[in-house]
Amino acid sequence: MMGLCVAAALIGLAWLALILGALLWNGLSGLVPAVFTHMTPPPGEAGGLLNAIAGSVVMTVIAVIVGTPIGILAGTYMAEYGRFSRLTIVVRFINDILLSAPSIIVGLFVYVLMVKPMGHFSAVAGSVALAILVIPVVVRTTEDMLNLVPNALREAGTAIGAPRWVVIRSVAYRAALSSIITGVLLAVARISGETAPLLFTALNNQFWSVDLNAPIASLPVTIFQFALSPYAEWQQLAWTGALIITFAVLLLSIVARALTVRREDR
Amino acid sequence: MTAPAVARDARVRRFALTDSLFHALTRAAAILVLLLLGGVAVSLFLGAWPALSHFGPAFLVTESWNPVREKFGALAPIYGTLVTSAIAILIAVPIGIGIAIFLTELCPRPLRRPIGMAVELLAGIPSIIYGIWGLFVFAPFMQTVVQPFVIGLFHDVPGLSALFAGPPYGIGILTSGLILAIMVLPFISSITRDVFDTVPAMLKESAYGIGCTTWEVTRRVVIPYTRVGIMGGVMLGLGRALGETMAVTFVIGNAHRIHASLFAPGTTISASIANEFTEAVGDLYTSSLVALGLILFVITFLILAAARLMLLRTGHKAGA
Amino acid sequence: MTQMMSPASIAASRPATEDVKLEVRKLDFFYDRTRALKDISLSLPAKSVTAFIGPSGCGKSTLLRVFNRIYELYPKQRAKGEVLLDGRDILDRSQDLNLLRAQIGMVFQKPTPFPMSIYENIAFGIRLYEKLPRSEIDGRVEQALRRSALWAEVKDKLNASGLSLSGGQQQRLCIARTVAVKPEVILLDEPASALDPLSTAKIEELIDELKADYTIVIVTHNMQQAARVSSRTAFMYLGELIEFGDTEQIFTSPQDKRTQDYITGRFG
Repeated sequence: MMGLCVAAALIGLAWLALILGALLWNGLSGLVPAVFTHMTPPPGEAGGLLNAIAGSVVMTVIAVIVGTPIGILAGTYMAEYGRFSRLTIVVRFINDILLSAPSIIVGLFVYVLMVKPMGHFSAVAGSVALAILVIPVVVRTTEDMLNLVPNALREAGTAIGAPRWVVIRSVAYRAALSSIITGVLLAVARISGETAPLLFTALNNQFWSVDLNAPIASLPVTIFQFALSPYAEWQQLAWTGALIITFAVLLLSIVARALTVRREDR
Repeated sequence: MTAPAVARDARVRRFALTDSLFHALTRAAAILVLLLLGGVAVSLFLGAWPALSHFGPAFLVTESWNPVREKFGALAPIYGTLVTSAIAILIAVPIGIGIAIFLTELCPRPLRRPIGMAVELLAGIPSIIYGIWGLFVFAPFMQTVVQPFVIGLFHDVPGLSALFAGPPYGIGILTSGLILAIMVLPFISSITRDVFDTVPAMLKESAYGIGCTTWEVTRRVVIPYTRVGIMGGVMLGLGRALGETMAVTFVIGNAHRIHASLFAPGTTISASIANEFTEAVGDLYTSSLVALGLILFVITFLILAAARLMLLRTGHKAGA
Repeated sequence: MTQMMSPASIAASRPATEDVKLEVRKLDFFYDRTRALKDISLSLPAKSVTAFIGPSGCGKSTLLRVFNRIYELYPKQRAKGEVLLDGRDILDRSQDLNLLRAQIGMVFQKPTPFPMSIYENIAFGIRLYEKLPRSEIDGRVEQALRRSALWAEVKDKLNASGLSLSGGQQQRLCIARTVAVKPEVILLDEPASALDPLSTAKIEELIDELKADYTIVIVTHNMQQAARVSSRTAFMYLGELIEFGDTEQIFTSPQDKRTQDYITGRFG
């Protein structure tokens, strides 16, 4: 029986290795400087992914700027002011559901909320969709990490006459800082590969654009479109884009984990 | 009053004010999280209403999906969603639990951390990667090797011959289910491993102490002790499989038909939305797609809520 | 929560001595429905050390935590009765909690330096209520560190993390931090129970010096320590104040059988 477990582990890991191998094999051959300097090409021509990468970065940055403060504040309420309130129990439950809710539904929500009333797709709508995915991740980490801050430290801050919010800002946040950064990095890792919520919010754009009020290209949507196309150049760019995303996500996750490990060692 | 005392009183008042402001701000953010989920539910319902009122309950059980004649039913996507997820769970759960057992009980200690970490990192790889691999590598492999072999194997076995009927397209329900299985695998194994870690060492040691083998300890102590937690993890994995879009959209074939054969192209709720939403013309078409989204939302909400309640009972907080 | 009393009746019930700093009247305390303090009344003289002793769970720490209302960080804990600081009821709803805690400082059982530098640990509290130029804050930090006998050990590494100090140094840093805010009362909740004998001796010396300027209340499970540092001692048992008097009298000729049993080591 235990042999089967070893076999399961081997099969599982081998399979995942197979996928990463294929990704490296197919992606590396297209990884040339032009990928980072040229725009996405018309069918049948060579080009790069510059506008798609830029679009992804722009939307991710906006999503993090919008989503992180909301997530940190909500997590702060749950671990500090509202630690013993019923609202916190409800919010925690709902947040956990949001955390694993299908991202395409978030895309539909933002479509109904923004795209339809505005009458067109836009980078703003895509950013909002991504921000909605950032929030639950940051809420969860912030709450968890603030809960790890010992109560003795809060009492000590309170006991010298500091109001609650100063204790939170100067003592609790400081003690939990590296873990909260970890949470934000994990959130970035999560959204940087998201495709479904962008399909009908940011749509796509074949040209360079950083206009927030217009459709914008993103790496995942470009991969989706190019991979399903019949053109060899586009398919190659799709593989290379996939490799870039995977590298970025793995790098973020590893940095995030390294931060947490350093904290545990201290 | 002395000057410092006045200054102090002003500070005190300012502190009280900023503190209540900050309190209100954090509370508002927490309520916003609730409103987000509420907003998703309401907006999906409003967006789906034209289709739901036009087709009525028949929407759920109608197979036809005809944009030209504007006749839409959700049966085929619902069927595809359920079947692909079922295939994924049937395959990923035993393997995932096997990996977890391997990691907690069998793996040599120095390898435990790196392999465990690798599994966790893989759980974070975006699903579009699985999709593109499925399209370019796995589907052709299915088409040229697996499917012809299986069709040949079962072609005169009653029942199975219908389930595995050709022609071998490569893409289809089974291929999607298999890719979903690979995708949720790291997810299920990392949660199961976390749940296994909650078994008190003393409990295991006392079982080993009376001479149990590793397998007996796992079967008689670890798995019964963590049963609810494992179920929770499986349900979380199921929730993920049901709502997964990109890994499936590439290889499902997008056909609104229910076919007896698992090799036939089909569609899922999320794949239909991803494939058709931007091209949908007419309010009824768009609304029908939103209605599909609403159905998916309701299904996943129920599954995820059940999963969270189960994980809550074990006192384990699963990441996602 | 508060019973209104006419000023005349307050004056009448106050002890004749003018130097009462903190007066507790008919205080009850509840954890949810459990009554943890029962009808406590006592007066603490100004600029002296009072010790609370008793077996664990007797309510001595709970009583201490009423004085700066720190218990209000948690739900379902409430106090009933009156605690007068210079004749003013601090349990009154109108009392500002932050100001109260600036007036009544507290040092805890385990050292709790803030996750910041040694300098910042002390300057943090000063800046809360006073707007001072940098040079003056420097002076106050030095003064506080000198008062807590830590200056010589840390003057060359003020920017090092407070967490880098040893346990005993951390506790003295916490005392310095409390002193720096210029409170009137200092509450010490078993301040030496986590420390080695040498550090404990330093803390006790420090308490002895500080009592010239501050009203000090110390909770301790160590009877020798209470005898060494305090001038008055209160013995508590099962939420009640059993006996309160001069330390010497409590330890040499206790009036109550339970006090006698406790100080002779028959229980607790």
